[in-house]
Amino acid sequence: MRLRLLSRFDVPTRNDLRVFVGYCGAAAVYIVIGVVYDDFLLSVVVAIAYLVVAAWLVPTMVRRLLR
Amino acid sequence: MSWAAHDLEPYAFQKHLNLKVAFVPLLIGSYAPDLMTKWFVYGIHLGPWELKASNPAQFHRGWPGFGFTHSLTFGLLVGLVLWKGFGSKLWAVSFVIGHWAHALTDTGDTVGTMLLFPWTFHFHLDAWAYAGQTGRFTDAAAYFSGLGGMWDAVWIVYGFFSWRVITSQYFDNVIYRADAFWPWVNRWVPRGALLTLYRAAFFYGTTRWIAWTIWAHVVHHYPYDLSWGGPHWVPAEHP
Repeated sequence: MRLRLLSRFDVPTRNDLRVFVGYCGAAAVYIVIGVVYDDFLLSVVVAIAYLVVAAWLVPTMVRRLLR
Repeated sequence: MSWAAHDLEPYAFQKHLNLKVAFVPLLIGSYAPDLMTKWFVYGIHLGPWELKASNPAQFHRGWPGFGFTHSLTFGLLVGLVLWKGFGSKLWAVSFVIGHWAHALTDTGDTVGTMLLFPWTFHFHLDAWAYAGQTGRFTDAAAYFSGLGGMWDAVWIVYGFFSWRVITSQYFDNVIYRADAFWPWVNRWVPRGALLTLYRAAFFYGTTRWIAWTIWAHVVHHYPYDLSWGGPHWVPAEHP
């Protein structure tokens, strides 16, 4: 059997990676807060609210301010 | 009981089922069995009163109790109501898949679930200790010290393997198109916020797995016990 390279690797685009890095930053802050104040980790509602603020609201506002 | 698996399983199913499921009922189904019960298992304080089940495992998984919420029959019943009562076969099927995933995953612990309720037999694999009766924090420490936490890690790895389902292109082409719920909410909520909401359970499942692991093993030094039925330093409940 002969092996051949895949014609196209399923890899994230540069934009996908940029978004991923942003989420990693938000995740790092969430984890630090959660480890220090463990009640923060208990609620999915708190997590959703945090994520909407950190990953959507803040970047949207920053983009508007920089325009 | 499981912690992060119920957040992450819906994304794994989404990867394979694409337009055949709607994500919102899939996720609601995955959360549904615990929605009504978890607060009473751990207890809450209302002013001077503490509301808590006298026998948390019995209340959560047993009969008499709310254990029927973890049965395949309950998921099917709610699915039938969604289909025949509200006219959405897509929501019904998606809910049932999410619900059944939860019910089956919870058979992994020492209490298990009454999958075929009203037959009250508990299906349980005994892979990790059920410790809900010890309270939220000891339960978290035990769960993230045993095979339950490892099982969650499998779903996290599989979630990252399925990374395409959380991209904006996938959201636009599959999630948004599959279910009229998203265009309806999009009348008031911008698309960027909807995309963030769609990713939220993935974010929650992954980050809290990491945070609880750090909390249990770096901050509090609970010992790992990855033996079958462990960790054995916590008193496990049985049916």
